[in-house]
Amino acid sequence: MRTARKLVSALALGTVALAAGCGGQSDPDDVALRMSVWTSNEDQLALFNTIADAYKATHPEITSITFESLPFAEYNTTLTTQIAGGNAPDLAWMGDLSADLIDAGALVPLTEPLKATADWGYDDLLPSATAEFSHDGNLYAYPFSNSPFALYVNTDLLDDAGQKLPAQPTWDDISSIGAAVHAKTGKGGFVINDFAYSSWNTLATVWTGFGASAWNADGTQCGFTSPEMTAAFEFIHRAAFVDESMPGPGITADFFAGDAAFAVAQVSRAGLLDGSFAYDVQPLPQGPAGTYSVIGQAGMGVLKSSDHTEAATGFLAFLTNPENAAKLAQYFPPPRTSLLSGDALAANNTKFSPEQLQAVVVDQIADAVTLPNHTSPAEIAQKAKTELDAMWNPDADVPAVLTSVCAAIDPLLAE
Amino acid sequence: MTHTRPSVREAPTGASRGRAAPRRSRTSRRTDALAGYLFVAPQVLGVLVFVIVPVGLAMWYSLNEWNVFTGDLDFVGGDNYTAALNDPQLPGVLGATALFSGGVVVFNIALGLALAVMLNRRFRGVALFRTLFFSPVVVSVVAWTLVWGFLLQDNGGVNGVLAMVGIDGPNWLQNGPTAMASVTFTQVVRSVGINMVLFLAALQGVPKELYEAARVDGASSRRIFTGITLPLISPTLLLTAIITIVGALQSFAQIAVLTGGGPGLSTTVLVFYVFQQTFGFNDIGYGSTLALMLLTFVMLLTVVQWQLRRKWVTYED
Amino acid sequence: MRTEHRTRRVLRRIALYVSLTVMALPFVVPTLWMVASSFKPLNEIFASPPSLFSASPTTAAYAEAFDFQPFARQYFNSVYIALVVTATVLLVSALAGYAFARIRFPGRNPLFITVLVGLLVPSEVTIVPLFQMFKLAGMVDTHWPLILVTAFAAPCVLATFVMRQFFIALPVELEEAARLDGLGRFGTWWRIAVPLAKPALSAVAILTFLASWNLYLEPTVYLTSPELFTLPQALTRFTDAYGGEMWNTQLAAATMTVVPVVVVFLVAQRQFVESLAHTGLKG
Repeated sequence: MRTARKLVSALALGTVALAAGCGGQSDPDDVALRMSVWTSNEDQLALFNTIADAYKATHPEITSITFESLPFAEYNTTLTTQIAGGNAPDLAWMGDLSADLIDAGALVPLTEPLKATADWGYDDLLPSATAEFSHDGNLYAYPFSNSPFALYVNTDLLDDAGQKLPAQPTWDDISSIGAAVHAKTGKGGFVINDFAYSSWNTLATVWTGFGASAWNADGTQCGFTSPEMTAAFEFIHRAAFVDESMPGPGITADFFAGDAAFAVAQVSRAGLLDGSFAYDVQPLPQGPAGTYSVIGQAGMGVLKSSDHTEAATGFLAFLTNPENAAKLAQYFPPPRTSLLSGDALAANNTKFSPEQLQAVVVDQIADAVTLPNHTSPAEIAQKAKTELDAMWNPDADVPAVLTSVCAAIDPLLAE
Repeated sequence: MTHTRPSVREAPTGASRGRAAPRRSRTSRRTDALAGYLFVAPQVLGVLVFVIVPVGLAMWYSLNEWNVFTGDLDFVGGDNYTAALNDPQLPGVLGATALFSGGVVVFNIALGLALAVMLNRRFRGVALFRTLFFSPVVVSVVAWTLVWGFLLQDNGGVNGVLAMVGIDGPNWLQNGPTAMASVTFTQVVRSVGINMVLFLAALQGVPKELYEAARVDGASSRRIFTGITLPLISPTLLLTAIITIVGALQSFAQIAVLTGGGPGLSTTVLVFYVFQQTFGFNDIGYGSTLALMLLTFVMLLTVVQWQLRRKWVTYED
Repeated sequence: MRTEHRTRRVLRRIALYVSLTVMALPFVVPTLWMVASSFKPLNEIFASPPSLFSASPTTAAYAEAFDFQPFARQYFNSVYIALVVTATVLLVSALAGYAFARIRFPGRNPLFITVLVGLLVPSEVTIVPLFQMFKLAGMVDTHWPLILVTAFAAPCVLATFVMRQFFIALPVELEEAARLDGLGRFGTWWRIAVPLAKPALSAVAILTFLASWNLYLEPTVYLTSPELFTLPQALTRFTDAYGGEMWNTQLAAATMTVVPVVVVFLVAQRQFVESLAHTGLKG
């Protein structure tokens, strides 16, 4: 009997001891700020910590500023679970979750406090950069990263296949060169990075060139049935199943491992180039609608649920002031006109020349469209993906599939 | 192996109870009852707190609309249930669920039984083969599924092997039927070892004399199997059927890692759909509604199987 | 006549070996392929035609696994959670299973059926309410939910069921003698019943350990801090900063989670199969 009781209490104590040290409550008088980010890059985190240390030096009430790295693939789910669980951070990076957060009134409006900050230079911000994170004239997240999509070229593979890229290539050029490279070398033609026949919103990097968009400007009407969208998807379908210039579904071809001739990917992916092959980077190819540019954006905002919204907003203003914005610009293409020049960006970029950066970053941002963004992003993404899956076999009826996409997401757009 | 009669054994307890009861006083019976309550208390309280109370809460959530970003809870009555009836995706999801669970149960039991019969004899290496067939059970579901995910890519290992023998394999995970076949197959291979061992144990409990007698009577192998073996192991069949079907209805990781429910809705089973609604779309009210539906299915199936046992389970008290 | 009979026997034996070997392939090859591929550089993993062995083997992925995540810590988490859960389940289920089999008390059958319900409720039904309950208790992003729910809900209920079936089958005479010697219920349970139940207990221990070791949904929901992750959850997090899968690192990590368990099983397989056979789970 005694032995058993000892065993029970030992077990209980053991679990307490082992599970302890997981929470850690801070003193209510101290301000401890947490910011959720999705980078786990040590250099980037080091930069954020340096800026945080500088801020703490002048603000003794702030005892700590922690940057919590959440995995990119599950960032939205994790952040939402934290918010629902009453464990929300004070500040957070956000991508396509921003629409939901703004819609739910979960973010602190930033326009006023930023304008009130001395020398912050609110008018320096590019309108094309702030549009996505604004609602009724108020900015809710600072668009710290505005990374244009560009065309990466594996020039070694092109040489192997005896192909030459024209000065201003069109999508048709890319497809025919890609098909030739595939036929000659067995490697992939062009890859839309991260698409993987699942994340269809990345196809905006193609369909924008055809003059199509996923929905209209205020997000109420589905755009998948438009003639432009149909043309775009017919092009993609042909590339995957007829010309074989784009690796088909279920085939892994990683441009950055040297497995494909072209990739459409954000400029910020340049870090994945390891020098194992010769490369070039160019603006996106021309589509039937001419030249165009697409950016992927990330913002940082302050959550209303924070106990220290004022302190958090103060830190955000410091983190994004002209001086610090210039430091962040070495990793993230900035939203400030004053910082956008090829030479300025090249100072910290070893992968691309100033001319390349001018062409693929600076010249693109002002007129760029963003990837499709809407409230309930996960549900729209899933509903449309379910329908689009029917597109990815050789004898798909492209217009019919697109009609079913609209039928599936129309109720969500109408909400 | 010890060998016990293949019947469920209330009998010994009942018999000795009858003998012992008169000797015991009323107080000793009362302290005995107290001991009984104390013994089962941790388990009963655990089930109350971690199962029964949450089920009650889930029923309450299913009557509400819940905004996770603001924490607001709105009572909406039966709206979520109406939504379920009108959900255009739900019929497809239920179809996939039936196909997957049915396939897993049928193949799991058939293969488990076949393996047990093949390995229920003495030959060199039988222990090794038992171990091989059982080994996936100890591999974590996620690791197992990740590896199969590789192997089933269009340019992956399975098609590579097929190509060597001149077969142009399909793009397994990209077509509805082959994707369903893939998740079913990987699930069966991973979990059949448990059923194999249970059947092995049951087969070893069949008295040898029965076989000998049947052989003396000139019965064929098939006749012996259906006439003697199957009836005698039918309680095990019932138990494995219940465990397997409950497990199949709860297979989440396999689907999440291997197909993500696609292509289309072809492998979106109810469990995965519930997870999507709840944690992907933050629709907790609707997710709870669907989860309760899943619970109803499991309960119904179990009750039906339990009733059917009278028909096909031969030795049962 | 005689030799013909013999040849037929030999042929049948060969056929048995061949068919068993072919059938074993899908059971064995994935694990072998995983181990082999974890030593390949990234560009060889998808090489066509596939090969089992690498042209230039490397252990870089193993180093990367520890570098990228607090993998050793996550390993420890999985081990200690599984051990705590297994110990708790052994205690709880041996007590409850014994009482449900042996002790007569009013309400025994309704209570037993209530407990069995715990086996049938899918975790998807209870996960959100449980999340809210643990949130109220301040236990979100701790290991408590993983320990408590596994130690008392479904896996424990299965264990209780197994133990009850075992004790029902156990001859009662030994206990009767002990009770006449003046041992109370608890003493009889601890001194007589539990030692006799070793085979059933070891089967329960193995099944419970595996259930906890393989838990995926719960850690995904409750845990957000990487240093608290368990292995199955950590395995899916080997993605680069942009969500791209780090295949070789993933395989190296998966190998490290699988191989020790398979080795333990290989060593203990005879005892395990026998202990399962001894439980009430058979016919």
